[in-house]
Order: sequence, then C-alpha cells, then structure tokens
Amino acid sequence: MSYIPGSGARKWFLKAVVALVLTNALSGAVAPAFAEEPKRDPSGVATGGKTAVTDAAGNSFVVTEPTDKTAPDYAQSKKDFDEYQAQATKEPLALKVADSVGHLKIATNFSWTLLTGYLVLFMQAGFALLTCGLVRKKNAGHLMMLNFAAYVFAFLAYYAVGYAFQFGAVAVNAAPANLGGVPTLNHFLIGSGQWGFLGGKGFFLTGPAYDASSNCLTLFEVVFMETAGYIIVGAICERITFWAFLLCELFIGAFLYPVFGCWVWGGGWLSQIGSTLHLGHGYVDFAGSSVVHGVGGFCAMALSVILGPRLGKYGPDGKPRAFPAHNIVFVVTGTFILLFGWMGFNPGSTLGATDLRIAVVAVNTNLSAVAGSAAAMLLWYFMFGKPDITMACNGMLAGLVAITAPCAFVSPTSSVVIGVIAGVLVCLGVLFNERILKIDDPCGAISVHGYCGWFGAVSLGIFADGTYGAGWNGVGALSYLGKAGQGVTGLIHGDASQFWTQLGGATLMVVYAFGLTFTVFSVVNKVRSMRVSKEVELTGLDVPEFGMLAYPEDAVEMLAAGSQAHQGGA
Amino acid sequence: MKRIDAVIRPSQLDEVKQRLTGLGVTGLTAFEVRGFGRQKGHTETYRGSEYTVDFLPKIYLSIIVAEDLVEPVVEAILEGARTGVIGDGKIFVTSLDEVIRIRTGERGPGAI
Repeated sequence: MSYIPGSGARKWFLKAVVALVLTNALSGAVAPAFAEEPKRDPSGVATGGKTAVTDAAGNSFVVTEPTDKTAPDYAQSKKDFDEYQAQATKEPLALKVADSVGHLKIATNFSWTLLTGYLVLFMQAGFALLTCGLVRKKNAGHLMMLNFAAYVFAFLAYYAVGYAFQFGAVAVNAAPANLGGVPTLNHFLIGSGQWGFLGGKGFFLTGPAYDASSNCLTLFEVVFMETAGYIIVGAICERITFWAFLLCELFIGAFLYPVFGCWVWGGGWLSQIGSTLHLGHGYVDFAGSSVVHGVGGFCAMALSVILGPRLGKYGPDGKPRAFPAHNIVFVVTGTFILLFGWMGFNPGSTLGATDLRIAVVAVNTNLSAVAGSAAAMLLWYFMFGKPDITMACNGMLAGLVAITAPCAFVSPTSSVVIGVIAGVLVCLGVLFNERILKIDDPCGAISVHGYCGWFGAVSLGIFADGTYGAGWNGVGALSYLGKAGQGVTGLIHGDASQFWTQLGGATLMVVYAFGLTFTVFSVVNKVRSMRVSKEVELTGLDVPEFGMLAYPEDAVEMLAAGSQAHQGGA
Repeated sequence: MKRIDAVIRPSQLDEVKQRLTGLGVTGLTAFEVRGFGRQKGHTETYRGSEYTVDFLPKIYLSIIVAEDLVEPVVEAILEGARTGVIGDGKIFVTSLDEVIRIRTGERGPGAI
C-alpha cells in the first residue's frame, strides 16, 4: 500500500543521518573562525555579575568607559566614569556584593524562563488531548501519534537549523539582557544591521550557542516553535499520511516558523521598522499571537486546502456534515491544560521574573481566556439553542491566542474586550470555513490560531496603553510621544502608526505563512499524494498507518468498517 | 415455556430488575443495544453542522419463564419501564421449544 515508505525512504533517511553528523562536526570546527565572537559560557559561572545589577527602571550602576573621544557628551561620560572608578576603588566589598546580586538576578530569571518553558512544554499534552477528543474514535491513535511525532521531529529540526535562523543574529551568547546576554545585530545570514532577514549562527547549537544563557533561551523558544508545530494537527488530521506530516513538521521547525520569528523576535527587519521607518515601536508581538499561532494557523489552512475535506464531510448538496467529537472529556481537560500552560506562554515571555509586569500579563491572559469562552458559549447558545462544549473550549483558546500579542501592553479591561471579540471571531470563523470556504478543519485550528492570531497582533495596535515597553525594539528609550517612560502605544491611546504597523505586519504574516506553505506543499503533493487512500480513510488511520488501535477493545466493531457511526455518513 | 424480550430505556433497567426478581424470575439477560422506532431518532447540531442521532441507546432484556409467570412478568416490565413519554420501548412474547442447562444436561422447565 502506498502509505508505507519503501526502501527508498530508508536510504534517504540514512543519508540524512550521515549528513547531519557531518554537518555537526563541520560546524563545530568552523565556528571559532568568527573573530568577533562573544565569549561563551557553557558552565554558567561567568554569567551575571555586577553589570546585570540595575534599578527598577533598568539603569545599571556600572559606568562603562567612553571610547569615542569625538562624541559631544564625551567630557560628561568621562567624568561619570572617573567618579564611578573612584567610588569603586573606595568600596571594593560593594562591588563583590553587586557581583553576587547580579548573578542571583540572572539566576532568578533563568528559573522563571525555564519553569515557564516547562509549562509551555506541557501544553503539548493539552493539544494532544484536545485534538484527539475532537476527532472520530477510529483516528484516535493517529491523532496521538501526530502530536507526539510533532514534538520529536520539529525539535530536531529546530536544534539543527531553526534556532540559528531565528536567533543567530541576536541570541548567540545570548540575546536578552534578562538572561545575562548582550544583544547584538551583526550575525545575519541574509541582511545586516537593522535589515536582517535570516539569522546565521549557532547551527546545531554549537559554537557560541553552546552557552548557558543561550540554551536557556533555546529551551523557551523551542517549545514555542512546537506550539506552531502542533497547531497544524487540528486541521490536517484524519486524512494525512504520516510521512507527509513529518515533512510538514521539519518544514515548520527548520524554516517556516524560524524565519518569521527572526523578523519579529530575532532582531530582524520587522522589529526594527520603528527605528528605520519610524513606524511606532516596530512590529510588536509580545508572546506570539502572530509569530507562533498565526503562522501555525495559516500554515494549517494551506495544508488543509491542499489535502481537501475528509470523505463525506460535504454531502452531494455541498452542505457540511457533522463528525461529532468522540471524547468531550479529553476536549475539556485538554483545554484546561492549555490554559494552565499559557500561564507560562505569556508571563514567561518577559524572559525574567525581575520584570514585575508578569503579574499583569498573567491576569490579562486569564481574563481574555474567560471572556473569549463566555462570548463563544453565549453566542452559540443564542444562535443554535444549545451551548456547544467544543466551541466553548475553542472560545477560551481564541481569547488566549488573541491576548498573546498584547498581554503585556494592555489593561485588564482591554483584555476582556479583546477576549470577547476573539470569542465571537472564532465562532464566525468556524462557520465561515465550514460553510463558505468549505475548508475542512476538524478541530477549528485555522479559526482559533489563524484568525484570532491575526486579530491579536492587530489588537495590540489598538489597545496598547503605553504603560509598558518604554524603549521596546530600541524605540523611545528616553521619551516617546513627548512623554518620558511612554511605552508601546496603540490607536486609542494616540499612536496610529503602531496600529498600521500591526495591521501590516500581521497581514504580512498571513501572506507569508499561507503562501510559502501552499507553494511548497503543492509541489510535494504533486510528486506524491499526501493523503491516505480512500479505504484507509474509511477504516480509520490507526491500523493502516500505525498497526494498532487507540482503543483495542473496539477492534471487532471498528474493523468491520460497516458501522455507520464510524464512516461518518460517507 | 415462553421467552419474553423487552426493549426498554437504560434508565429503567433497575426498576424493571427489582420488580422481576421480586416475582421469582431466576435469570435475566440484558444487552446494550442501539435502535430506532417510529420517531427515527432526532437532530442535533455539532459545531454548526446538523447531524441526526439515528440510533438511540436502549437495553434489550431477554427472560425465559414458565407459562404461569408470563403475565406477572409482562406486568412488572410495563410498570417498571413505563415513563409515559415516547421511547419507552416494546415487549415481545414468543413460544420456546426447549431449554437445556449446559452444566447438567437437564432439559425442559426445570432447566430455566
């Protein structure tokens, strides 16, 4: 049967493994060739010292020696430096204490970033339960395997090249000052300075990427990439072959996600258009409404279009048919696990517990989640007479996805408004996909992550109130809109340019994620069909694709393949 | 000997069982089944698409009794299974040729 990879695939796999090992060895040998390499610190003992000690506003007490003698403020800087030196000589003990405090501060931020990263990792379990519960029983094993393999293969792809593409420019030993690194913008593979398009260092986490600070960031970022990776499962399940799915995961982990991630979080051009083109604070996405969820959602949409709807989803009259969820208990439990994991996703994105905005972020995230769920529940109650449990769950996820970009920049009340809009949007999106576009999305992934991800990034440009993010992306560190300490500001608080930036950036994300995925996988699908055969789809993918059932006690009933419930009316 | 089959609501099984054991019925077999009657199921909405629940869950009882117990058993099932709402089920009574107890090989009413 065509869905079993033959010996050709095995040879290809062997070649890939050999290539991987060789590249790894090679990149290790080549890495030291970069002369301006920041010093790496794999053991972590040299990470965090007195230079990390700052006041609450982020000002360091350590004064560095001015080097540019022609600078207009050279005299003042030199004077400050001399004063600092004199004080430091007088109080050597204070410097030692400061070193210790700095190390502790970085350690606190490490703990926070890693622990929230573990929470995000746990979202994988939530997604697995949610999507598995939403499909038919005959595909439960298939769903669990997709979610599981997504983690495994996308992780390897991200380790090999994804991290370097995304953060090679800034995070190699290591971007955020919160984690003890020094951000720079000079290691792009494509582009340079403030116009970077692709990072280019740290392949296979070698060279300067083999560093405690850098690896702290790696763990946090890899689980974010995984989120984009498993979003697609919800839209392409019940009909995609396993080999095609693995290709999708490698594509997302190695390329699709890291490239857009580089543009927004890796010091790439989109994040810098605040400085270069004077567009607000540049394109801002705090925790990834667009970078993670939007990219995943629109990639899922392209794949779903290529695959086509499940057999029997649309009747001869073109009317959509329902394939009810097989386990609502999984769906609700999964959604709650996702909510819990999101407490790492959003607050963790400060990359440091010393940024006390985390409390506001956590409250905003929760508020938007419940507002989204309430809106979806009530809207469905009103439209169809009964509140659909799966849509109530989608509503909560919609609120979470939408608040992910603006969570640090908006007030709690704005969060509720964003959640309500997302809750309505996700319902309309599901109906729009199902009835008008006729795109079959079994779990609502396109509507939840794609549409609400786009909306979340745009909502930042509307609701950001300027209380947080002064100096974001290097814009307005001293003052913004004529006010000192003014942070990222949206349309209703007086910065229309931020709104246009968000609208443009989020829309670019849609075009990028959908367009690139559609192009690449249309070709793949031409070479070899990514879809399972008709018989396999009717039987359920569990046995033909994986040789076992999720619920073996159903073997007689399911393999008979005659029962109407399992054919979904096909 | 008669065989009495009854399709009842799952929720009424306990009521029926209690009444039957009170009558001295010695054995009872229950199947979980699905089916439809004159109502032909009903329509629900899942994520905005309609679907029909054609086959409703029911309990199918099978009881073997001697002639004299037929009427009391039927009465007991009627009492226990009736809610007065559509979907209460049906009772079928058929004649039975032979009953054999596998352990002893005993035949006839004594084997019931």
